[in-house]
Amino acid sequence: MLYFLGRRIISALSVVFVTLVATFALFFVAPTDPAGAICGARNCPPDRLAEIRAGLGLDEPKVKQFTSYLEGLVAGRTYVNGGVERDCAAPCLGYSFKNDRPVLDMLKERLPVTISLVAGAAVIMLTVGVTIGSMAAKRRGTAGDRALVTSTLIVSSIPYYIVALMISLYLTIFYPILPRGQWTSPFDSPGKWIAGFVTPWLVLGLVNTTQYVRYSRGSMVESLSEDYIRTARAKGLSDRVVTYKHALRTALIPVITIFGLDVAGMLAGAIFTERIFDLPGLGQLVLQSLVNYDLPVIMGTVLISSIFLVAANLVVDIVYSLIDPRVRLS
Amino acid sequence: MSIGAPDSSVGIEEHPASAEPVRASGVAHGKSPTRIAIDRLRKDKVAIVCACIVLFFVLVAVFAPLLAKLEGGDISTFNVKLVDEFGFPTIGFTSDHWFGVEPRTGRDLFARWVYGARPSLIVASVATLFGTTVGVVMGLLAGFLGGWVDRVISWVIDFVLSLPYLLFAIAMVPIVESWRGGAFTLSPEEQASTRFYVLIFVLSFFGWAGLARVIRGEVLSLREREFVLAAKAIGVSTQRILFKELLPNLVAPIVISASLALPAYVTAEAGLSFLGVGLIEPVPSWGQTIATATNWFKADPMYLWLPVIAITILVLALALLGDAIRDAFDPKTRR
Repeated sequence: MLYFLGRRIISALSVVFVTLVATFALFFVAPTDPAGAICGARNCPPDRLAEIRAGLGLDEPKVKQFTSYLEGLVAGRTYVNGGVERDCAAPCLGYSFKNDRPVLDMLKERLPVTISLVAGAAVIMLTVGVTIGSMAAKRRGTAGDRALVTSTLIVSSIPYYIVALMISLYLTIFYPILPRGQWTSPFDSPGKWIAGFVTPWLVLGLVNTTQYVRYSRGSMVESLSEDYIRTARAKGLSDRVVTYKHALRTALIPVITIFGLDVAGMLAGAIFTERIFDLPGLGQLVLQSLVNYDLPVIMGTVLISSIFLVAANLVVDIVYSLIDPRVRLS
Repeated sequence: MSIGAPDSSVGIEEHPASAEPVRASGVAHGKSPTRIAIDRLRKDKVAIVCACIVLFFVLVAVFAPLLAKLEGGDISTFNVKLVDEFGFPTIGFTSDHWFGVEPRTGRDLFARWVYGARPSLIVASVATLFGTTVGVVMGLLAGFLGGWVDRVISWVIDFVLSLPYLLFAIAMVPIVESWRGGAFTLSPEEQASTRFYVLIFVLSFFGWAGLARVIRGEVLSLREREFVLAAKAIGVSTQRILFKELLPNLVAPIVISASLALPAYVTAEAGLSFLGVGLIEPVPSWGQTIATATNWFKADPMYLWLPVIAITILVLALALLGDAIRDAFDPKTRR
């Protein structure tokens, strides 16, 4: 077990490290000139350009730049810009080219929005999805079940952003039935926070629910046909207990696995939802940084998101091996 | 007679020279799995309807210039006379402009709509082709050779699958543009064609890993089978074993993966163009039209609805077709 854990963690760390090297190589080794982008491309006085380059450390050799980026991540570093020295504390992701703020602060500002969005949607997709899925599995083969399976297939085949966009345009703007997306901190006003997130939660949650209906239905069909279910029924247990206590518990294992990965994926990529409902989360930050060629911000976001994904993979793997003794630990 | 293994001598007696069981004449000999799948697919009404819809869009894309000529419009002419001072089009659907004109610029919407089918289908099919080829080769090598080759390839697969795909796609755009000299120095045409290749590259880069993992797993079990051992024993080269012995047995997962990848790529292309990181002017694309049209949706709903309907129907048809193909090749998935 310890050997498995150690190996798994090392492999996860190696993925994070290679992501770091790869993003750095892509952004900084490529013949980009971020200094030109900051200074305003066309008519930039050469001495100002050189000063910006020096301030960002862009005049140093690439390997040196990379080690100082790493050093910044682990121990913090100091930036000099226009004669002013600034400290960037331990997990230092650098300074934004555009608005001259630490990238970490910008990410911290955006993260609550994305987390609020994903958390609400995750609750909807897991509860609604598993409930409907297990009910369908019990009524397997009936007309209602077939209709449900077909409709989830159709809904999940339509591009997500089209559904979200049309709901946003027609149900929040044209016919204002649902409240418009808006970010308010839950600590300032919980009511406004919920109101601003209701529509995005419903859209992101319910569209993804269709997948969970299918996963949990399939998994439930499998566990309902196991021998121990027949034994439980033969003992004379009520249908309710057999379905929800015996069958559902086993059926949930693979569903939770996918759920863990999905939530991490959503944290890294709720970009469409944020863009369509105008929520200032991580995804919006990346899109804005892209327009400004604000490389440190894009790189910081990519790095943070990769860490989310790798961590989720790791947790799911470990939890899975703990829950299911059949998974071989080697 | 007890119930046990079927009597293996049945049917052999009359034909002592051959071990082949004798069949009544007129009954077709064994069908290949692919043949069986195609037969199943032909009987599937949903699959046939979806295939027809996909074919329709392919024809629209192929004959886009012809269709535009038939209507008399083109994608780039500005008809300023057809929009009022606020940019709203003054005409609806006319015989000159079948789908009306674009707000502000007055460009012909029918021509832009038929040309819009092209990038979606080209990007998606080229990415599917690359992604599938790389995935199959990597999976075959990893599964068959084993050892350090397997370890390296498996690690790369895990690595690619654990990257945040959408973010990387977005981040790749400015980088590749800067390789070509930066967005500031490129002409709009150069920038548009760069975006085209970036899209294909990014989609296939993230698309191969899933298939490679599946193929590797299949090969791991296939390589222990007798026919592979036999081929090895008589000294068949590795290359030949990989492509002549193993590959034909992998048709089902490859076809399934490709047919499910296609709608995903169409969705991704339009989605990235919608976000502004995919195709850009002057290339007409549905995703980009949707993004602009959201600003005009109250005054000019058709401007928005035409690309929305096209994308939805095309993706839906491709996805349902992919699903039918999966069911046909792998009947176990249907419960």
